[in-house]
Amino acid sequence: MKNTLRVERAIKNITQADLAEAIGVSRQTINTIESNKYVPSTVLALKIARVFNKPVEAIFELEDGD
Amino acid sequence: MSNIFDICKVCFTFGKSNFTIMKSQFLFPTWTRWLGLALFLVHLPVMHIWDIYHIHSYNDGNLFSLSHLFFISTVVLMVLGLFLIAFSRERIEDEQIYQLRLASLRWAIFANYFVLIICLIFTNNKADYKDLLRLNLWVPLMSFILIFRWKIFRLNRLLKAGE
Repeated sequence: MKNTLRVERAIKNITQADLAEAIGVSRQTINTIESNKYVPSTVLALKIARVFNKPVEAIFELEDGD
Repeated sequence: MSNIFDICKVCFTFGKSNFTIMKSQFLFPTWTRWLGLALFLVHLPVMHIWDIYHIHSYNDGNLFSLSHLFFISTVVLMVLGLFLIAFSRERIEDEQIYQLRLASLRWAIFANYFVLIICLIFTNNKADYKDLLRLNLWVPLMSFILIFRWKIFRLNRLLKAGE
């Protein structure tokens, strides 16, 4: 699964720490999601989407291998 | 009737909070990690005294004799220390930590059974079984702590590399 989290964050001009605090996870988790090393749960994906006021599909996308 | 309704409401909200916030995990507070470390460190000199003064040679087979009390104190200190270190809450306990903890537990069980099977193959003496039991006491907890800490260290290194 790939995501546009880094881009969305740049558009909204918030840091990894800000996003982490907004959804109640660690900075490490945001970092690993951004670098496609960790796939968040549905709850976390929905929370992230809510921060950016976008549907989940706008941020997270399935890849060919999934 | 209103009582039943209240009970249902309590059950419902309790159930809901369990699902939305991950509070269902049973873990000790973060500070108990340092208490655990202290207990483990205290056990080392106590164990040394045990060896120097040959207290195990006073073993008369009675329950709560000197040697038995010494044995209890060292073993309980070590196991309690490791237990508290292993099962204390992280500062930010999120779903990734939960997943890492689970993966580390799996590896720890693998390691423990690997050691156990190897020991079972290479022991043929009844006296060795006591050592085997003692080994089994700390191998799962110790390997869990080491693997879990290593995974968290790697996570932090990734964060530093990303900055």
